Amino acid sequence: MESTEETLRRTNRPISIPTLVRLRNSKKRLKSVLASSAMTAVSILAAISLAFIPAEAQIPAYKAPRTADGNPDLNGIWQVMNTANWDIEGHAAGPGPLFQLGAAGAIPPGLGVVEGDGLPYLPAAAAKKKENFANRLTLDPEIKCYLPGVPRATYLPYPFQIVQSQKYILISYEFAGAVRTINMENHKKAPIDSWMGWSNGNWEGETLVVDVTGLNDQTWFDRAGNFHSDGLHVVERYTPRSADTLHYEATIEDPKVFSRPWKMSMILYRHVEPNAGLLEFKCVEFVEELLYGPLRKKPAK
Amino acid sequence: MTGRYTLRSFPALALAALIGLTLPVAGETPLRTADDQPDLQGIWTSATVVPLERPVNLKGKEFYTEAEAAENTKRVLGISSWERLGSQAEVHYNMSQFGLDLSQEKIALSLRTSMITGPDGRIPPFTPEAQKRLAERAARNRGHQFDGPETRPLQERCIVFSTEGPPMLPAAYNSDLQIVQGRGYVAIVQEVIHSARIIRTDGSAHLPETIRQWLGDSRGHWEGDTLVVDTTNFTDRTAFRGSTASLHLVERFTRVDSETIRYEFTAEDPATWVRPWTAQLMLARIEGPILEFACHEGNLGLPHTLSGAREAEKAAEASKAVK
Repeated sequence: MESTEETLRRTNRPISIPTLVRLRNSKKRLKSVLASSAMTAVSILAAISLAFIPAEAQIPAYKAPRTADGNPDLNGIWQVMNTANWDIEGHAAGPGPLFQLGAAGAIPPGLGVVEGDGLPYLPAAAAKKKENFANRLTLDPEIKCYLPGVPRATYLPYPFQIVQSQKYILISYEFAGAVRTINMENHKKAPIDSWMGWSNGNWEGETLVVDVTGLNDQTWFDRAGNFHSDGLHVVERYTPRSADTLHYEATIEDPKVFSRPWKMSMILYRHVEPNAGLLEFKCVEFVEELLYGPLRKKPAK
Repeated sequence: MTGRYTLRSFPALALAALIGLTLPVAGETPLRTADDQPDLQGIWTSATVVPLERPVNLKGKEFYTEAEAAENTKRVLGISSWERLGSQAEVHYNMSQFGLDLSQEKIALSLRTSMITGPDGRIPPFTPEAQKRLAERAARNRGHQFDGPETRPLQERCIVFSTEGPPMLPAAYNSDLQIVQGRGYVAIVQEVIHSARIIRTDGSAHLPETIRQWLGDSRGHWEGDTLVVDTTNFTDRTAFRGSTASLHLVERFTRVDSETIRYEFTAEDPATWVRPWTAQLMLARIEGPILEFACHEGNLGLPHTLSGAREAEKAAEASKAVK
């Protein structure tokens, strides 16, 4: 007579009750058969779930409270808790560009926020990225207190505030007083290029979808030299996932630099301390020595 | 009675509205947001023909008649923008080619002869302490105005502009601002230079004394239909009209009608002026949009001014050597 294991392998399905009854007198065999059967069932279920629900895209179903005009309420002070500003791709800890800063200037590690297998640079662009990284101390616009652009403004390690009305959603970033206004009605084309872009937004169910165009080519994605051209087109999605968190996703499209569109995603955390508020970070005066030092009457040695 | 006043049909009411008196109008309800706050939202300009201080020859005359106001407006708008700024430069822009001349702006009507209210219409005298302080500062700076970035005006350095203030005063052009209201906050975004003052409207306490900011710390609350904003915690380098870190500002925003906000501020600094003073201006609704004013990113003026000064010094040294 065929053993129970052989039956299972042959039929490849959970064990049936008649078969169980046949084995009732053999506790040891029953235990091992049930274990294999359970493992088979689990592996079948796991295979099904992996095939249909990719882990990164899963946003918990949550219905946010509404504003008085009936839209999901995104008002609040938000901040990321990741190291995307250092490098949007996964990276181990590493030395920073200034040895004098020691550990304070080192690059902290991070899993990265880019979905999929790395940034799809076109060959010439990949070379430029390497060059940017090698010269980041002089080339990174963040160091000069320049406006950070979109999406970098979202994942700088400083808070930003959303002030939401029906017609306009204002996002004010603490760094450099960067600010952008999302037009929720009367969508027009970007009248001119700018550092923070031209944002047209609308609601798709629980999600604020923002279409950003008119971005100039002066900003970077991070301190690692990841960059774009003035052909950049960003589509952001802000989705409340709990009372105090938002799921943020940005789709990046720039055919002059990347061979296909790609996505980044991360969590935005609400500042819940009672006196939370943006403070002033007008960094221009902190970069004057860097930018204009040599033009002083008495330059510092 | 709803909608806009016209000068012809309701002269008394129009006059009252223009000189900034709050008059209840039968049947007209103030504009409210969806969550029932007074609605200050929109895109506005503070551009005006009214000077901050009253011309000395008009002392005692706080208001023009309608005819005088119209004539004065015509006169001011007829001056070229460069003359209006008081520039003596031989070479200058013609602002009207860029749509930046005052005559190309929408200006809220006003019968005032000065923004500063009261019989005098001028900033009060400095205290003796302030006179001494400012004289010493001027003496220290004499001959050093081009030494480095720190000796240059804050606007040239793209740090703070008069449009941001606070108080928020119109500039030569682009005196545009946008107000957005969200739950518990009123946000005022000045086009120049892309600053957002996000003001809590729950009357919360100011920041600790040790934290000073260029724009101070602003806390708001509603008094009826007026947003009252109290600002302290200025730095000692903000120096609005020569004032110190102890400057205390109270601003009031009132929606007068669908097209106008009355903006009023009272400035107080016992270390600077012998008494507080108040000014009022009208903000007119404009179509916008607010555009990005990336001042620092495009700042060629500051490095060119400094390098020009270095060149002039070299030339002076060279000619000395020749002599």
